[in-house]
Amino acid sequence: MTVHNLYIFDRNGNCLYYYEWNRKKQAGISKEEEFKLMYGMLFSIRSFVSKMSPLDMKEGFLSFQTSKYRLHYYETPSGLKFVLNTDLSVTNARDTLQHIYSNLYVELIVKNPACAPTHTLDSELFSSRLDSFIRALPYYSPRAA
Amino acid sequence: MVDEALFEFLHMEIVSHVYKEQQSSKGEMDNKDRAICVSVLEGMGFRVGQGLIERLTRDSPSFKDELDIMKFICKDFWTKVFRRQVDNLRTNHQGTYVLQDNKFALLTQLSGGKQYLDQAPKYLAFSCGVVRGALSNLGMDSVVTAEVSVMPSCKFQVVIQKL
Repeated sequence: MTVHNLYIFDRNGNCLYYYEWNRKKQAGISKEEEFKLMYGMLFSIRSFVSKMSPLDMKEGFLSFQTSKYRLHYYETPSGLKFVLNTDLSVTNARDTLQHIYSNLYVELIVKNPACAPTHTLDSELFSSRLDSFIRALPYYSPRAA
Repeated sequence: MVDEALFEFLHMEIVSHVYKEQQSSKGEMDNKDRAICVSVLEGMGFRVGQGLIERLTRDSPSFKDELDIMKFICKDFWTKVFRRQVDNLRTNHQGTYVLQDNKFALLTQLSGGKQYLDQAPKYLAFSCGVVRGALSNLGMDSVVTAEVSVMPSCKFQVVIQKL
């Protein structure tokens, strides 16, 4: 039971924040390309999901799973995208992502006069609070299952 | 109770506006410009403090002496304005007081330690003015300065001017 990594994108596709806790394999491409790939994939999958949906849909794309990990997605009304990769035992991380947004991002970044909203987030307070929050989650453990 | 975020956002924008205004006249800021910005912010705080203290002391009895006034500032005034009490008040009994707040409301979102330390004074100028305005309307002329070493803890130094 573990959390692998977290990405935060703004509404224009810039990656504001990335942190990893437990990643055994890298993507093999540079970080910028990886962020572009992730954002492009999210954009395409969201539009695919809403086009092909057989019913009217409120939320849209929530998560996908592979044989080894699950990717959770949360988009705020202001266009911020939170992406969390966990292992398969975590079925719903929506509340977690929502907590990260409202209690950490809004409190420590939006209300921080020294943090411009379009740059990468370098507030140490945000990093350390996020880290302790993730480590305190019931489904986090330092070693992957 | 009003949402404190309203004032926090307004304060952030006031500080940024004052600095941008000062910077637009020249290319970059030198120390004189920075001092002008700080005194503009402090002047705004002064007027706000004067008004606030009238409102907050409408129902209280008059104060016995200087120390009583300072204790009022540290407890009731600080609670109403910054939502907590001052943690530590020190004095040399000759007109100088140091108020220490370990979790100053306007600094908690900025940083948890030393990051952004150089920007902290910008966000303290207004509050220094508020304290100076409050004291001035209570009959005490003073000079209020603030210093920060580890956020969100900060110290306000009040020196009473004897006529």
